[in-house]
Amino acid sequence: MSIYLRNIFRFVLLVLIQVLLLNKIPLRWWANPSGFPPYTPFIYPLFILVLPLSTPVWFLLISSFTMGVTIDAFMDTGGIHAAACVLMAFFRTNVLVALLPKRLSEYPNTSPNIKSMGWTPFLTYSAVLLLLHHLVFYIIEIWSFSSMGYLLIKVLATLVTSMAFVVLYSLLFSTSLNATYYDNK
Amino acid sequence: MRNFLILIRRFWNLILFLILEVVSLALISKNRNMQGVDIVSSSNSVVGYMYKKQNDVVYYFQLKQMNDSLLTENARLRNAIAQVSNIDQFRDSTVRIPITVRDTSKKDSINTQGVLKTIRYAQYNYIPARVINNSISNDKINFITINRGASDGVQKDMAVVSGNGVVGRVANVSAHYARVVSVLSDRKISSKLPDGTSNLITIWNPGSPEYVVTEKVPVYIKVKKGDSVYTTGYSFFPENVLIGTVAKVDTMKASSAKNLKVRLSTNFRSLQYVYVVDDKMGAEKKQVEAETAKPAH
Repeated sequence: MSIYLRNIFRFVLLVLIQVLLLNKIPLRWWANPSGFPPYTPFIYPLFILVLPLSTPVWFLLISSFTMGVTIDAFMDTGGIHAAACVLMAFFRTNVLVALLPKRLSEYPNTSPNIKSMGWTPFLTYSAVLLLLHHLVFYIIEIWSFSSMGYLLIKVLATLVTSMAFVVLYSLLFSTSLNATYYDNK
Repeated sequence: MRNFLILIRRFWNLILFLILEVVSLALISKNRNMQGVDIVSSSNSVVGYMYKKQNDVVYYFQLKQMNDSLLTENARLRNAIAQVSNIDQFRDSTVRIPITVRDTSKKDSINTQGVLKTIRYAQYNYIPARVINNSISNDKINFITINRGASDGVQKDMAVVSGNGVVGRVANVSAHYARVVSVLSDRKISSKLPDGTSNLITIWNPGSPEYVVTEKVPVYIKVKKGDSVYTTGYSFFPENVLIGTVAKVDTMKASSAKNLKVRLSTNFRSLQYVYVVDDKMGAEKKQVEAETAKPAH
């Protein structure tokens, strides 16, 4: 599969998982024990995390915006996801440059994952960007700092589930096939 | 000019980033004020279609719950009919006779029992709809998507109720789908207590989809746990729709008022069927109110 097809396929699959499965979870989660607020787990930022390392920034921004707007349409959040995604995509390059030893253009056709980066850098990279995304998302959504505890609970709870998805993805798709795109060699 | 182009090329990524952020912020503000038709919403036909397909699959898992809710509602409606028509009281030991009024002014009435007169036409028309998407985890506004739209007579600002109580208000309408702002939002509901205390305001506190708060009830009004809270006819909801029952009474020392924690009678976690309320007098009421609101010259 070519690099484009693979990412388009991933886009569609992640949107479907997010919209048709994960959005229904807070509904079926019957009680909220000790006032713990219901929240929706997010898996779709994974799409932005694993776009190839050599993707130009303008394409990153546009594709993240598309992803955000798609999710917004399904979740009726206006443009909150889009705003958070665009911010996340903008800072992706900076985080990657800080974590990787070589320049980004020296990694042709490689995605950020545990194969190309190693466990610790990849999880750090994911955690930083996901934290940024969730923080921005919930700040715009709640739009007040009067209940910081509530905001932090929501951000942390969502971050834990998102990181679980990232780890799950790394364990499931960490074959050599995913690390390099052979047909482009 | 050349320097300007160089500047744009140099900061192209930053400029694109700012443009996209501004676009998303514009979308957010448009979504928040509930006005206008959004393209980016679940009432557009593509998203509505997807949700409908998903709901068609999930529908079968929920048939049992749905049966229960329909049965309870049937029972409630039978009781309501029995009270109105004074017949069909077989379960009671007392037998009631239908009340008929003899109208002697009507010359052409052959019926010796009298002519049935219509005193008032039904003011509300209920359009049944299925919930195809539902959210409870947002903090400001929660939306519900239903599978009825403009072609079924659904219009903007109509009230939406379930068999158990209030649900929300129609925000956007497309041909076959409509998006409803549920009461789990920062929208106030004009409400009253069964003893006639009116002009109260009920609002949702984010965090729990089970409770709303009726604010600033004067302390001299006696409220017990378990009392019902109803809607008034002042806003877009029909009168006497159940909001919920009082779960906890919080007396505030400073302002000599009580806040009532109200358990919603509608279960938003398993909402299946709702009714869109078409108020036939609604347009007239709105027009009269708008006319009086104008400054008199």
